[in-house]
Amino acid sequence: MSDIILRSEKLNKHFGITHAVKDVSLEFEKGEIHGLIGENGSGKSTFCSMLCGIYSISSGRFVLDGKELKVKSQVEANRCGVSIIVQEMGTLPGLTVAENIFLGEEEKFMHGIIKDTSAMNREAQKLLDSYGFNRISAKQMIDNYSFEDRKLVEIVKATYFNPKIVVVDETTTALSQAGREELFKVMNRIRAGGNTVIFISHDLDEVIEHTDRISVLRDGELVDTVQSRQVTADDLKRMMVGRELDNRYYRTDYGDSVPDEVVMDVKDVTVPGQISDISFKLHKSEILGIGGLSECGMHEVGKAVFGASYGRKGSVILGDGYAVKNIPGAIRHSIAYASKDRDNESIVIADSIRDNVCLPSLDDLSKQSKVKGTLKDKILNLFADKHAVNMSVKMTGIAQYVSDLSGGNKQKVVLARWIGKNSNILVLDSPTRGIDVKVKADIYALMSDLKKQGKSIIMISEELQELLGMSDRILIMKDGKISGEFKRDPKLGEKDLIAKMV
Amino acid sequence: MNNQPTIDINEEKELKKAKRNKYLKNLLPLFGFIGIVAVFSVLTGGKIIDPSNISLMLSQVYVLMIASMGVFMIMTVGGLDFSQGSILGLSSIIFCWVSNYSIPLGILAAVAGGAAMGAFNGFFHVKFKIASFIVTICTMYFFRGLCKYITTNGPVSASFDVIMLDETWLKVAITAGVLFIGFVLWHYTRLGCDLRAIGAGETAARFSGCRPDLTKFLVYTASGAITGFASFVNVIKVGSITGTAGSQLETQILITLVLGGMPISGGARARFSNIIIGTLTYCVLDKSLPMVFPVSATQQLVNGIIFLIVVTLTIDHESLRVIK
Repeated sequence: MSDIILRSEKLNKHFGITHAVKDVSLEFEKGEIHGLIGENGSGKSTFCSMLCGIYSISSGRFVLDGKELKVKSQVEANRCGVSIIVQEMGTLPGLTVAENIFLGEEEKFMHGIIKDTSAMNREAQKLLDSYGFNRISAKQMIDNYSFEDRKLVEIVKATYFNPKIVVVDETTTALSQAGREELFKVMNRIRAGGNTVIFISHDLDEVIEHTDRISVLRDGELVDTVQSRQVTADDLKRMMVGRELDNRYYRTDYGDSVPDEVVMDVKDVTVPGQISDISFKLHKSEILGIGGLSECGMHEVGKAVFGASYGRKGSVILGDGYAVKNIPGAIRHSIAYASKDRDNESIVIADSIRDNVCLPSLDDLSKQSKVKGTLKDKILNLFADKHAVNMSVKMTGIAQYVSDLSGGNKQKVVLARWIGKNSNILVLDSPTRGIDVKVKADIYALMSDLKKQGKSIIMISEELQELLGMSDRILIMKDGKISGEFKRDPKLGEKDLIAKMV
Repeated sequence: MNNQPTIDINEEKELKKAKRNKYLKNLLPLFGFIGIVAVFSVLTGGKIIDPSNISLMLSQVYVLMIASMGVFMIMTVGGLDFSQGSILGLSSIIFCWVSNYSIPLGILAAVAGGAAMGAFNGFFHVKFKIASFIVTICTMYFFRGLCKYITTNGPVSASFDVIMLDETWLKVAITAGVLFIGFVLWHYTRLGCDLRAIGAGETAARFSGCRPDLTKFLVYTASGAITGFASFVNVIKVGSITGTAGSQLETQILITLVLGGMPISGGARARFSNIIIGTLTYCVLDKSLPMVFPVSATQQLVNGIIFLIVVTLTIDHESLRVIK
């Protein structure tokens, strides 16, 4: 039996009407990587947020090293030896890399009232180098770095002071393969140093591979803690969902040909600094996967065909002859777009589910009223309710604000609005990013259904398994250009795709 | 996809409570209005609800209520407008000039002039991405300067026929008409949805098919036009225009909307009723404070305290939170 470094005792958290964490008692050992998994809304992030002082504890307590842990903020938590790397952006824009790393620890570099910036930069650069991130310069503004590099800076920030507990919350979804490897190296180093990592991820294979033990949460309750070496991904899925999942996770059909009818013809599309000379045709009932490393420009392709890119050249011609120029035109001609940046671009966070579902369809809905061209609340409410319920969005009602929903439910709202709009071409950028297995399976099933109805889908994804499992055809991009094309084939593997990506 | 979320009894209770709280919160400005009327009725010994005082109060409502409607839209998309008073002054002058030829033509000219001034604001705000309060503070001085320059040699008078129009029923009818049109546009067209979405999240609204830049520009233009129209009602009341006509209107509007429950940052919680309740509350406060506190210094003090209390009570404490 190893030493217990951290214990939670009968921990509870209420958010108004939601009981997010119920009586969770968990033990973490010294020098282990402990996986924490569960569906969206199962309470794993909430659990860690209480540990790190981001949320207050409703009842129960944490015991760290035999003493009760009472922290009110992340900085306090850091001082007690608990740090967190979060799912979304955790760095502050407008500051340098060094200032970000030493945020809250500036006193170290203060001589009276003067801050020794060069010492701070030197110290930060030494840390970056020691992690092997030499290409990041401590003096530069954080804004000059990509999402991925900023994540790496955050990893340094959260771990350089040798904390006893490091929480890694959903960080891998933001990282490419190379970035993930860096993260896993850091995690292993923390473990080797006798400290503990709490690792939250939706990628079950990743969790099994990189953890020692795994705890499963469901609806805020602890289901079980298991040894990672003794379980399979399917076992974990069963524990998370509480029932057998049907085996239709990905599509299983192979060899059916796609109709020849072209619904979208993309010709020589260039967005300065992002993508150059992209050309492809999308067919009716086709799921076209686009993959690559996160900075390869594939996310911009989605925006470009939706008319959302600034300074786009080239043409996007639809089946009806319409050339896409702007977003309202694209929506009118039946294109739907779900962004990777869900909270900023896909949905209006600080607005109701009702308004979000109705927004793209307002013009259609105004035709349904008795007085043509006017909107009626009743029609809007019925419409929003129908599509939100169809997607089984977990909500208190359509008046609820989207900001109250978990990631998976937000994505359901995004899909509900476009299903409601009855769009024929769906551009889905990272549709399952940060989403648990059950909702993932729902989304895959929905995509198959849409395909059967004759709709076309462009799926942009960093998940190779997803691309292989769902696409009729896969385009791989590298440095803003298309570098490879693959037809659906059971023999096709991740290695084939990776070869074209790097 | 047919697993309905299970809601236990406890949760259902909480749900009802949350709904009721939300409902009460929406009614808070109304309670505020009733409370203020009640308090000042007692403090003034009933003088405030005296018919003659009510008609005096009403005379102030019209311009404020009409002009507030434009700023209501601006605030919903997340902007502010400090140039409203100057726009009212300048378009009042335009109306006075043209009214000497024809009153209907004068109204059109005032509306067009107001729209042009609003478009000026909108253009600088949207095209050069300057924060709206900075643009409108600049244009507040700019338009006010023009006003003062024009009236250097004395006030500008409207045609005598205009003053003959000073009938309560006409002003009530005009105000009600403008409110009705605004209400219909807000509730029965996509205007309300669009403005709320843009105020709540501009990028996301753009990706949902709204046109934030164009919409904002049009909202500023429309707001200027509405205030241009209000200048007609203004001139009916005052007859001739001096260099300071309409000054302080911008702060009055701002206070009005906040008293009515309008969130300062705009967005999805904006409600049309904010305009009406806000205007009424403001006018009651404005007329009854001098009765209770005859010294103008104390008036401002009490005004400030009441304003602060209302903002504290109505401001949105719920920060954005995400449950995972």
